[in-house]
Amino acid sequence: MSHTRPDTVSAVLARGRLGIPSVVFFVIAAAAPLTVVAGGATTGYAVTGVTGIPVSYLVVAAVLALFAVGYVAMSRRIVNAGAFYTYVTRGLGRPAGVGAAMIALLAYNAMQIGLYGGAGAVTAQFLNDRYGWQLTWWVCALAVWAIVAVLGVARIDLNGRVLAVVLVAECVVALTFDAIMVTHPADGTVSFDTLAPSHVFAAGIGAALVTAITGFVGFEGTVVFSEETKDPRRTIARATYIAVAVTGVLYGLSAWAMSVATGPDHIVEAARTDGTDLIFNLVSPYLSQSVITVARILFITSLFAALLSFHHTVARYLFALGRERVLPAVFGRTSRRTGAPKVGSLVQSGLALSVLAGYALAGADPIVHLFFWITVTGGLGVLILMTITSAAVIGYFARIGHTEGTWRTLIAPGAATIALAGILTATLREFATLLGIAPDSPLRWTFPTAYAAAALLGITWALLLRTTHPDAYAAIGLGAHSDTGPLRTPDTARQPT
Amino acid sequence: MNTTPHGGEYVPHLREHPAPSRPVRAVGSAAAQTTIRLADEFFYLAHDDQTGRPRLFEFATAHGLAAALLVELYQEGRITFEGRHLWVTNALPPKDWLQHLVLDRLAAEPRHTATRTWLAFLGTTAYEQVATRMWQLGLLRPEQVGRLWRQRVVYVPTDMNTAAWSWARLSFQLRNYQPLNAFDVALAGLASHTGLDPVLLDGTPLAIRASLRQQVERAHPPLRDLLADLGAVVGGAVLSHRTT
Repeated sequence: MSHTRPDTVSAVLARGRLGIPSVVFFVIAAAAPLTVVAGGATTGYAVTGVTGIPVSYLVVAAVLALFAVGYVAMSRRIVNAGAFYTYVTRGLGRPAGVGAAMIALLAYNAMQIGLYGGAGAVTAQFLNDRYGWQLTWWVCALAVWAIVAVLGVARIDLNGRVLAVVLVAECVVALTFDAIMVTHPADGTVSFDTLAPSHVFAAGIGAALVTAITGFVGFEGTVVFSEETKDPRRTIARATYIAVAVTGVLYGLSAWAMSVATGPDHIVEAARTDGTDLIFNLVSPYLSQSVITVARILFITSLFAALLSFHHTVARYLFALGRERVLPAVFGRTSRRTGAPKVGSLVQSGLALSVLAGYALAGADPIVHLFFWITVTGGLGVLILMTITSAAVIGYFARIGHTEGTWRTLIAPGAATIALAGILTATLREFATLLGIAPDSPLRWTFPTAYAAAALLGITWALLLRTTHPDAYAAIGLGAHSDTGPLRTPDTARQPT
Repeated sequence: MNTTPHGGEYVPHLREHPAPSRPVRAVGSAAAQTTIRLADEFFYLAHDDQTGRPRLFEFATAHGLAAALLVELYQEGRITFEGRHLWVTNALPPKDWLQHLVLDRLAAEPRHTATRTWLAFLGTTAYEQVATRMWQLGLLRPEQVGRLWRQRVVYVPTDMNTAAWSWARLSFQLRNYQPLNAFDVALAGLASHTGLDPVLLDGTPLAIRASLRQQVERAHPPLRDLLADLGAVVGGAVLSHRTT
């Protein structure tokens, strides 16, 4: 084999490959920074009544960075794996994998549908304040739903450049607001109270931590792009760490800045009064009205970007599971003209519509009962998934022969598993605080039980498949490669780089 | 009509194009004589026979055409597929310029053997190349469509009957549970692995879909290996899609 010849194949395939910035943009946009800062953090203060929200963001960022070490190392060995359940399947076996898939479906659906509450309420309020349109939240939510449903079936994602511009604008707005809030502290002194590590051991920290985790959901998407990056070994790892660090610092800083502007003792009270308006109200005396308007529009666009991104995530999960015949094969079909995972997209939209209708009919509060409750429930699901995945990374590397060091294959994933399991335990213990309901309310068990039921259903289904459809059972976790499943072993080779 | 058993030898006329000097106005069964190359047939199948508008999304069309070019070389006895890899078995230049071009590339870069890599590589150029080959034979006519700011070239079939023939033949045979010959099994396999099969099976009962799957599954093992890779490439694109 002569290497002096030019390698035209690699040269052609390298065109259009992604660099670190593109990957970072894609995943941070899905996490929607302004949604988290203006919506998640403020509602988190209001509902949980916990002042340790800022430090929670920083702690969670650290834990997720630890989680990412083993996760990224494993992603290099799995082709086309964008889904947690693929990792669980390879690490802990197929029944656990299908259980994880069911948890993931529930969690991502919850994330997406919950966001409609935020999008509807925030848009309605914006249109009301600005133009005096008296719209109810669910009218706006339905309008947004219709756009997402159409873009979902048409397989239209937000354009990379548009995302980048919007994302940079969001970050600039958040940082400007932070600077203003920190330079105008409530009592004339800048207090670091809400960043004190002692909060980690205070009551209600579980609720704060899962609120924080909810803000990071989407960062795990970096690995989806591993086949399309210039250098899969480095690009994905660095992009993941950068995404976690940037969002962690931004969230922590913004949540802290809000507590400085109101004074740490008054932040919960202020958040309860102002809701998602808090951050805008705090800075409006110092900024021109047009800047505030732009910021509010960016808040809405960031909600929209997150909605669309989670919609695509759910549709793709359904597609991959349909391809594997874990779900009916019809989910594995794509729209002929657009290549969209059509059935998955329609089913997700249908589910969202019925939940929205239920909330509208019940007259529930869109921010607290839909946006916050349902997205943190989604966050809880993703927390469960990350805990299992982290354990799966250890299991995977224990099974295969490899040359990675023990830090990546055992120590970091092990520590991440323990930390995540700790957060999970604290969250379950304080789920009533998280929802802002009485500790003896049966509601506190409803959401966690749903995940247990989903996992159990998945495991049972996998065991049934093993006896009734061995072909489908063998293909579990192969996703798009399930075509090749019965024929041969999973592909571990990558495209040349 | 097509009675070649799947496991049997290929009928020579399936590999060679009669090279019409000008498009023939074929009527009815006259089109049956115009058996052409696999990539051309797949191109026809993936586009509307009258307007030339795509019936299938771009990525799947491009990679389906790339796979079709590889199958042409396989049927010419130049390459074979084994697992996830393809090997050049005979580097003797084929008569067709496009097959020659593809085989040259395969032979010149022996360091790349993964079928997926070659599908991705050929997928970048296959559409233009196959369209050019068909245009040179007078099978397609480039036409500018769209307004000023969205102008693009669409390849319109010069003869509707020729263009519709692959669709009509496959659709008819499948609907009547007739066994397909090796050439048509390959074509049906390409269609079903790119998601184009609803075009063939529109409104048919599930049993026909199952019979299509069975026929494709009985294809030669090397061909099945290629189709599996094609399905994985197209499915993978659905999972990692983003609008650029």
